[in-house]
Amino acid sequence: MKRSWAGGIAIFASAALLVFVAIFPFLWMALSSVKTLRELYTVPPIWFPEALTFDNYAKVLFNSNIPRYFLNSTIISVGSTAVALAVAIFASYGFARFNFRGKASAQAFILVGQLLPTAAIIVPLFIILRWFGLVNSYLGLILVYTIITLPLSVWMLTSYFRAIPFELEEAAIIDGCSRLGVLFRITLPLSLPGLVAVIVYAFVTTWNEFIFALVFAQDFRVKTLPIGIAEFSTEFNTDWGAVMAASMVMTVPVALVFFGMQRLFVGGLTAGAVKG
Amino acid sequence: MQRAQGFLFILPAIIVLALLVLYPIAYTGLLSVTDETGNYVGLANYTAVVGARMTATAVRNTVYYVAVSIVFQVVLGTAAGILLNQRFRGRALVRAVALLPWVVPGIVAATTWAWMFHTEFGIINYALTSTGIVSSPVGWLTDRDIVMPALIAINVWKLFPFVAVMVLAALQAVPNELYESARIDGANFWHEVRHVMLPQIRPVLVAITLLLIIWGLNAITIIYTITRGGPANRTLITPIQIFRYAFESFDFNGAAALSVMFFLVALVFVAIYIKLFATERDGRLT
Repeated sequence: MKRSWAGGIAIFASAALLVFVAIFPFLWMALSSVKTLRELYTVPPIWFPEALTFDNYAKVLFNSNIPRYFLNSTIISVGSTAVALAVAIFASYGFARFNFRGKASAQAFILVGQLLPTAAIIVPLFIILRWFGLVNSYLGLILVYTIITLPLSVWMLTSYFRAIPFELEEAAIIDGCSRLGVLFRITLPLSLPGLVAVIVYAFVTTWNEFIFALVFAQDFRVKTLPIGIAEFSTEFNTDWGAVMAASMVMTVPVALVFFGMQRLFVGGLTAGAVKG
Repeated sequence: MQRAQGFLFILPAIIVLALLVLYPIAYTGLLSVTDETGNYVGLANYTAVVGARMTATAVRNTVYYVAVSIVFQVVLGTAAGILLNQRFRGRALVRAVALLPWVVPGIVAATTWAWMFHTEFGIINYALTSTGIVSSPVGWLTDRDIVMPALIAINVWKLFPFVAVMVLAALQAVPNELYESARIDGANFWHEVRHVMLPQIRPVLVAITLLLIIWGLNAITIIYTITRGGPANRTLITPIQIFRYAFESFDFNGAAALSVMFFLVALVFVAIYIKLFATERDGRLT
């Protein structure tokens, strides 16, 4: 399509504006994280610090609970992603390859699980976890995060499994392979992109989650990074330099994972969610 | 045999969700009609919650927050989606960067914007006062009448990229012939937007709007970390009120009654969404 000169300018200007709006807060966060307190609290604001200071990072890394929270976040995110993935693989395979009574209701049930407001079940979940002694434990958090990520994982994987020609599986079954053998030797290796998309989705969602962490992790041994950042910024005198540094520490891993897997992730999500 | 096998495959997922979703919901129902010692009290918790002045405030704020956020999210997200569907140099990079707000943790969005909205040292007040747009610094997060629009702005920034990706995916599925025949009829860009793109992506926009309502009812991170519902309850939304009942007043039964009502409202939107978009046959949305 040929485009007029004015149209080209308009597109360039809108794209520049879009990029600016999307990225400016992160640039400002990065710049603020390497400024001294005096540079932060000054009017007019200083754009670039005279000399980079890493005091804020030192404070966050050596003088706070953030490293421990980073470890907690990692353990909980990895654990919950593994549980969700394991359960989702079987469920998706069941939905993609079998017909059985109640299948439609089971799928609707899983979808409802994805859409229900977590705020509405947080109280009973808290009471149930307390009953089992799972408040303030890795296992408790891993379980509650599974219910957040499981439904969409099942939906994404189901559409991936469906896209794999059934003839491939049939051939293996004729050769005497069991259903589970087919799933692990044929279907899973062929849906690697789908698996990666689900892993990224589940990991990032768990890593970012705030409300469940706030309720179910009240001890520093299991608190996650979002809670750590909230603790920094709700004290009476907010140390904005440290808050920005901690925010950087939390954002960079997510941004790296996302940009590394962007194509897969977005492809998987839209395939699961939008295609007709 | 075949059938039983299929059911075995999905059984673990069903068990996990039944234990951690279905059972809690049933338990909420039970809590909402009992007192703290477990005695049946009928609808006493409900009348107490409905009668509380805070409840009406929270409902009003929730509707305001969700409705205004969605209007801007859908309009800006659609515009961004259409832009990202145009051909231009560097498009792949712009597409990736535009998604950034959606990918970052909500808590990071909240803290970063809170710093930018800082009354004294925030970059936004500086930009506005130094260019003469406002004469004195605005108390974005402290002024009762301004704090909600400020929080809505953050919320819109966080979620419009999601709308943009979905719109982009839908636009990519629009057959080229439609554009071609529009062009033969002499359509310009705006005609194409109005008569080709928007009608084609309408189902997706309806689906997104419903999803945004459902998520919006649930979104608490930004408001909770920045204002906790203040100042003077101006940003108190229903999920935060549930939270306050349960974990500040330790009134689990009141919280449960409010949860049940909140849940039923959300369920209406979930039901519409499923009815409209979840086809049983292939298990996809839309």
